[in-house]
Amino acid sequence: MNNAPASPPVGAAASVESRWASPEMRARIRRRYGAERRFKAVGLIAVLMSVGFLAFLLGTMAWSGLSGFSQTRVALPVDFRGSGLSIDASSMTKAEAMAALNQQGLGDLLQLSATSAYGAQGESYFGTAAKESAAAAIYDDPSMLQRQVELALPATSPIDVAAKGEGDAASEAAVARLEAAGKLSSGLDTTFLSSADATDPTVAGIWGALKGSLLTMLVTLALAFPVGVLAAVYLEEYAPKNRLTDIIEVSINNLAAVPSIIFGLLALALFINAFGLCQGSPLVGGLTLALMTMPVIVIAGRNAIKAVPPSIRDAALGVGASRVQVVFHHVLPLALPGILTGTIIGMARALGETAPLLLVGMRAFVGGTPDGLCSSATVLPMQIFLWSDEVDRGFVENTSTAIIVLLIVLLSMNAAAIILRNRFEKRW
Amino acid sequence: MSGLAIVLMLFGLGLIAWLSGRARAAQLERVTPAAAVRPHSRPQYHGWYVALWTILPALAFLSVWSALSPGLAVQAVLADPAAASLPDNEFVRSAIIGEARQLATGQIAQGFNPQSAALVEPFRTAISRYSTIGVVIALILAFAGAAWSFTRLKRDFRARTRVERVVMLLLLAASLVAILTTFGIVFSLLFESIRFFDRVPVTDFLFGTHWSPVSGNEDPDLFGAIPLFWGTILIGAVIAMIVAIPLGLMTAIYLTQYAPARVRSWLKPTIEVLAGVPTVVYGFFAALTVGPALRSLADALGIAGASSDSALAAGLVMGIMIIPLVSSMADDSIAAVPSAMRDGSLALGATPSETIRKVLIPAALPGVMGGVLLAVSRAVGETMIVVMAAGQSANLTGNPFSSVTTVTVQIVKLMTGDQEFESAKTLAAFALGLVLFIVTLMLNIVALRIVKRFRESYE
Repeated sequence: MNNAPASPPVGAAASVESRWASPEMRARIRRRYGAERRFKAVGLIAVLMSVGFLAFLLGTMAWSGLSGFSQTRVALPVDFRGSGLSIDASSMTKAEAMAALNQQGLGDLLQLSATSAYGAQGESYFGTAAKESAAAAIYDDPSMLQRQVELALPATSPIDVAAKGEGDAASEAAVARLEAAGKLSSGLDTTFLSSADATDPTVAGIWGALKGSLLTMLVTLALAFPVGVLAAVYLEEYAPKNRLTDIIEVSINNLAAVPSIIFGLLALALFINAFGLCQGSPLVGGLTLALMTMPVIVIAGRNAIKAVPPSIRDAALGVGASRVQVVFHHVLPLALPGILTGTIIGMARALGETAPLLLVGMRAFVGGTPDGLCSSATVLPMQIFLWSDEVDRGFVENTSTAIIVLLIVLLSMNAAAIILRNRFEKRW
Repeated sequence: MSGLAIVLMLFGLGLIAWLSGRARAAQLERVTPAAAVRPHSRPQYHGWYVALWTILPALAFLSVWSALSPGLAVQAVLADPAAASLPDNEFVRSAIIGEARQLATGQIAQGFNPQSAALVEPFRTAISRYSTIGVVIALILAFAGAAWSFTRLKRDFRARTRVERVVMLLLLAASLVAILTTFGIVFSLLFESIRFFDRVPVTDFLFGTHWSPVSGNEDPDLFGAIPLFWGTILIGAVIAMIVAIPLGLMTAIYLTQYAPARVRSWLKPTIEVLAGVPTVVYGFFAALTVGPALRSLADALGIAGASSDSALAAGLVMGIMIIPLVSSMADDSIAAVPSAMRDGSLALGATPSETIRKVLIPAALPGVMGGVLLAVSRAVGETMIVVMAAGQSANLTGNPFSSVTTVTVQIVKLMTGDQEFESAKTLAAFALGLVLFIVTLMLNIVALRIVKRFRESYE
């Protein structure tokens, strides 16, 4: 310190000290610390807002969608004696029995019972869902055809919506009357997860869309995974440094950033117009999504392969493995958890994708489950989109419920990816 | 026999070939005493060699054949006496033939044109004849390949080298898929766009201010895309960014600079969930909740021209979706700033917020800018949110509460109505797609270049 040339004189040091204590200095420090606190608070607010948006989004969907798992039922006394309905439960399958009952005029009987129980407007309380439910009940217990029973049957959409608090005035009044008479009950809507799309929201379900999604994802996985992994292996392990490799790398990085709707245009021009593949089918949808998912898998795969230390390769080469053996016997197994994580994330993205599928004809109404790769089908996000366009309030609820199902599937896929990464990925 | 069954049968033959090749090699290894030189390749490579020779030539033939045989079948049908009564008009004729094909393969149950019914039988025989020929030739190829390769197996045969060469070709082919996809996109967009620009001049398309395509009308005045570009910019590049940049940047700053490690390890994945929510869900949320709420807000404020499918609703929700993207890019760029700069600033007595504002952000700015450009490119190409929440009418307005339309909305609208090929209306979707592709590509290239240069400057 002695030979420091700029050591300040004693008097100056004292004045600095006094200035630190001076009111202006304190005010300035207060101001600076205030700014610090404010800045930190702004950061916290930003984080809380982002998390809050997420919570609000999920909360809104859960709030309006959970009621879709329940259905409103109205009690209906039916006298089957003398109705002429008969089934042979021992020899008929459920579908046959239900068809036979329909043909024998079950619907008319129900409408008749409804008018005699609830007056002229009673007809409007029961629809297709009630008929199916009654037929199923008769199949389970054919002896009821010989007596008078009171069945709790699913109500039509206006009544259902009104019972959940969002209906129009007339239905609200009807619901209030039924409520007062103790005729209303609610139960688990089992048809929602097991039936396909329909024009009546109380009958419509998501099984058709779920199966379509499953088939589409199978095609996507079967194409994108092998091609993606092989391309990643080539680029990371074998590709010579030349112009072709550069072009491949540039196109993979660009494809990962191309808007999804462009893939839809490509699929329309290539698969449907040029190759004439079946329009609106899981095959074409899966091909389109495979083109989109492949770059994601290549990029994830390259990172996973890059993370395998060179010592593994050197050791394998040292004991006489060929270059192909090094990769397929040693590098690839070690990189597999990382590759699978990337694949699951890519597949989750493909599962939630709608836009390109709009263009390849998957937006048609499909009132049945797809039974093959070439039959016309819809997928879960597309079903959500189609339902969100419907005017009927019953479909709004269905949309939210379908969104809950989609989000549960996607979140569990992402959770699986995270678990896989944490459990199996080695840090070298 | 269906295509899948043939391929499965080929793979079954391949399995048999693999087993017999391996057994043959093992036998060769055993026959000669162990004292002799060890064979070059393990038995399974001999197996693979035989299996590849069984499957690949037959598979290659089948793929060529499946492209050729429909044409051959049509020729056979045209030579049939039943085809003599077909009209001369090329267009009608091909329509009838297409219908007969669909009837013959069972894709449709009932034909539209009565003449197609007569052709069903000839078509069915032709198709079955050519598919039988194809299967027989494929089987001959498979057996010939298997037999030839099997006779080549010897004790010192270098089977592994050959198998590995095929593996390398396979790897190269897999990588070429990416190039093919890129070329496919560029060519399909360019090809259809050029046909569009034959009808509507490029300048009218790019600089026209009136957009209302009608079927059958090819008046260039109806294809002015400026309102679409403006709507896209207003929603994707202005409103969404006003939401996403401050929130994303401040989130990244708080998480990297202030939050304790435990909080960070929970908050970061939670915010990433925002990026994992499907866009159709955001769209439904925007259309059902945000749009009506904003409309009543605008009515309460007395803003004229408010609509429930407003630019603001779509933009706000899109901004929320983009937050994780901006946040993670900003996170990476701040982490890339050398810690010496941060430590130096703190050591001079600056508070953490002063360090962030005066040192870290300016130093990380290029990286953040790159991230913002990527986010813009993502927002511009986003489809479902705007399809569900933004409007359909092409307005050239600055009022965020009114309805505007975007490029992606119009692509979907043009391609999903009653579409007829060859009409300017359908082709316009490809022209819009081309513009979208070029713009997002440019944004990405510029963004990646900025980020790369920024990274290099601190290495």
